[in-house]
Amino acid sequence: MGLLCQLLEIWNKAKGKERDIMLWGDEVEYLVVTYSKDDPKILLSLRQADILEALASDKALAKAKCAPALPDGSNAQTSQPPPVFHPEFGRFMLEATPGKPWGIGFKELLEVEPNMKLRRCIAKDHMLSNEYPITLTTFPRLGSPGVFTEPYYPPSGSRLRSQFVPDEIANPHIRFPTLAANIRSRRGRKVQVNVPVYRDENTPWPWRDPTVNYDLHQWPEDDDVRNGASPDNFIHMDAMAFGMGSCCLQITFQAKNLTEGRQMYDQLSPLGPILLALTAATPVYKGFLADTDVRWNQISKAVDDRTPEELGEKPLKNDRWRIPKSRYASNSTYISEDHRLRPEYFDPDLVVDEDIKQQLLDGGMDDRLATHFAHLFIRDPIVIFSEDLKELDLSKTDHFENIQSTNWQHMRFKPPPADNSIGWRVEFRPMEIQITDFENAAFAVFIVLITRVILSYNLNFYIPIKKVDENMETAHARDAVLDRRFFFRRNLFPARARVPPPPARLGRLHPEEDTESGDDFPGLIPLVESYLDSVNVDVATRCRLAAYLDLIRRRASGELWTAARWIREFVARHPEYKRDSVVGEGITKDLVEAVIRVGEREAKGERLGSCGVVGLERLLGGLR
Amino acid sequence: MTKLILSTGNIVSGGPSIIRKPGAFRSNLELTNSLRSNFIAAQEDYAAELAESHETANGHTNGTTNGVDAEAGIGGRPPATAWTARKDGILYVPAIEWDAHGLQEEPAEYDITAKLFFLPGAPVSQRPQYAKQALEHVLRELRAPAVDLLIVSFPGMSFEGDCEWEADKKNAAQGNDEDEIATWPAIEELHRAGLAKKLCLAEFGSEKLARFLQRVQVRAAVNQINLKNCCDVPPPLAKLAKEQGIELLVHSDCTDILPKGTLRELLGQGLGGAGLLADPETGAGGLQGDLTPQWVVKYTAVVRDRGVIEYKGYFAGAGLVDE
Repeated sequence: MGLLCQLLEIWNKAKGKERDIMLWGDEVEYLVVTYSKDDPKILLSLRQADILEALASDKALAKAKCAPALPDGSNAQTSQPPPVFHPEFGRFMLEATPGKPWGIGFKELLEVEPNMKLRRCIAKDHMLSNEYPITLTTFPRLGSPGVFTEPYYPPSGSRLRSQFVPDEIANPHIRFPTLAANIRSRRGRKVQVNVPVYRDENTPWPWRDPTVNYDLHQWPEDDDVRNGASPDNFIHMDAMAFGMGSCCLQITFQAKNLTEGRQMYDQLSPLGPILLALTAATPVYKGFLADTDVRWNQISKAVDDRTPEELGEKPLKNDRWRIPKSRYASNSTYISEDHRLRPEYFDPDLVVDEDIKQQLLDGGMDDRLATHFAHLFIRDPIVIFSEDLKELDLSKTDHFENIQSTNWQHMRFKPPPADNSIGWRVEFRPMEIQITDFENAAFAVFIVLITRVILSYNLNFYIPIKKVDENMETAHARDAVLDRRFFFRRNLFPARARVPPPPARLGRLHPEEDTESGDDFPGLIPLVESYLDSVNVDVATRCRLAAYLDLIRRRASGELWTAARWIREFVARHPEYKRDSVVGEGITKDLVEAVIRVGEREAKGERLGSCGVVGLERLLGGLR
Repeated sequence: MTKLILSTGNIVSGGPSIIRKPGAFRSNLELTNSLRSNFIAAQEDYAAELAESHETANGHTNGTTNGVDAEAGIGGRPPATAWTARKDGILYVPAIEWDAHGLQEEPAEYDITAKLFFLPGAPVSQRPQYAKQALEHVLRELRAPAVDLLIVSFPGMSFEGDCEWEADKKNAAQGNDEDEIATWPAIEELHRAGLAKKLCLAEFGSEKLARFLQRVQVRAAVNQINLKNCCDVPPPLAKLAKEQGIELLVHSDCTDILPKGTLRELLGQGLGGAGLLADPETGAGGLQGDLTPQWVVKYTAVVRDRGVIEYKGYFAGAGLVDE
């Protein structure tokens, strides 16, 4: 139980940590594509390792010629050290973070967008001239028949055993193929990532995924499709890369202390599905239009390592429990000791490892946090390196991190590292990456401001965790932001001292109410504006922040499109589209070309306007 | 003359009243709503205590006469003496439990801002006293030695109109230069005494600001302006601010933040009123005389490195002249 010792070691060392300042960081993930005007094909570049190598060996990153001015004249010269680039699961992906965490000075919030542009520019600068970092969540034709990577590798390798993608699609670092192979072997079959197909006028119905090969006999797992892995009317995918190859926008906050960290974790949790719907950007899989708008469930299925027993398909014999959710799923616990957290908000079906919980309690941890970790520990560690097991070092956090980092809930509660140099942190994980850095900065800054609003006004967003789960499903629907309603707490404000905290009065929030006030629910944007009214903000800063809030307000009202809606419109209006749900190579090329063109204009600091791209004004509203 | 000081307490977790309503831009609703709810809260607390003491001793609380009606108020209102307090010639509405206040961490951890509104009907000659009194109350409430920024808002000034050039021009003729300059030494005094680290003006357009800067000793480091669209700072003002090293901050307050009629309503016998003022029409007893709002101070304490507003509130001073 090395993990537990490490966790208790961290806990005992860090539980009294106090008065950490507000720091935060954003993570932007990119797809790397190859594109040239004359080449009919757009491909995923698998040169992640070379690009990272080029970036790492360039000592003069900061002096790169990448300091584009923004349209309002400010530029990217910031107080920041050079950005940091990281590998990701997909070998066609790249992640970039700021060189040091951000603070909460309002002027600093304005450095985020230029810094994101700087990161993209530096990344581009270390690629081949025909390679581009783009921020689409997924590559529309990942796993389609034919060639979609550069260089080409055939599918059906020994690690992934996917009939659609090659083993070489994953980062070759031992961690990643091992992770994928272990998930597959634990499940006893390949992962099944099935997404409902969007039914257009000419879509054959019932629809059978025409790219599935039922006659493959290379691996035992090739039987999966013959055993019903690919149901009618679903796009069928069979490898971790279809999920973990998605790009997202994650934000991590440092809390003042343990108590505040727990409060932020709980209060941001119900906001997750709303922000997922607002950032929806994933309407295409494997060359077909999907009937959903976001990546979430696909990732969830792509790393679902539950056995048939754990899934409830077979009676429990060898496994310890039935597990209702994948290890990538919406939160299952609230962890704050807030008196407003009522018993009925907890998940009644929560599975915890009672032995582990008892050990944590014996080690001095309180019940709620012990429950949270004992819930994470129901999962097997799926990647452990033998070198880590030889010597268990209590001053490190690797073992605990192993469990922690292969539990992907929509929030993550991060204890300080072994040396206690960083405080308690909370990561907000549901948002999808946006096409432009303007949008990415807008959502990052928005969620940062929301945390300040929550803490300042002591807001209470608690709703039953089951309702958060339900909202997460709702967020998947096409145009959920317009057509669906979400459970949302309407009485957010603290009651007066004498009155016990009231139960959640649930409403059905239409995200447009972000901008309106229905009964006593003020809307998220007015809350942020009231906060900004109460602090000292200079004119230029407020003006720039107003553009961010404007974007989100207009997305919520439907006046502006989500990226998912824009992609759908782009496909629908494309001359090659036959209203049969097929997103062919020609459409894909033009779509990615449009994204590249917008990115180039943004990098140069030019106004985006419509720049000849179909529907762009409905995506960005002329705000850049 | 009786002096009244109204207060809101800490409103930062006070609920919907502090949230800007769409379309209610630049209103004084935050002040009036939070005063009203603080009055009601104080009255309810009293009623709850009374109920408790009735249960235990079946006793009766004696109201000592404050010059305010000590009898149980009309319509179930508790007597004014029960929830207001009189001290050093000031009637506090509601009574303030000073011990219950203060910031959680060291004052140095905060950015403390106070915005002082001089109100139109009050005599200019009294402004030094108003300023001193307002700031004293803020510092006492927060238990802080000084504010980081003291913003002074003079009556009769604003940026109006859709065209910001136009607004800047109009502004040049607003307010009263002589009164404003005559008031400033008292503000400078607070700065010299170490009670306000930086000084700030509100709603000064380019011409007024240029005139003002020539005639004062301690310059304002900041000018707080309200613009419909804060991206359109009038170019002359932007230029002047840059030349003079003056920071331009945004606000969304209205300048006439507590008109006389509003104050009477807040304290009167009507629906939603506090029931402190006598009303000849209904025969309700209470304070008599002419009530004049003199100043309002809005204050906030923000934890500097965390961007969390810990404390926000208002005090309002008024004078009651017996008729």
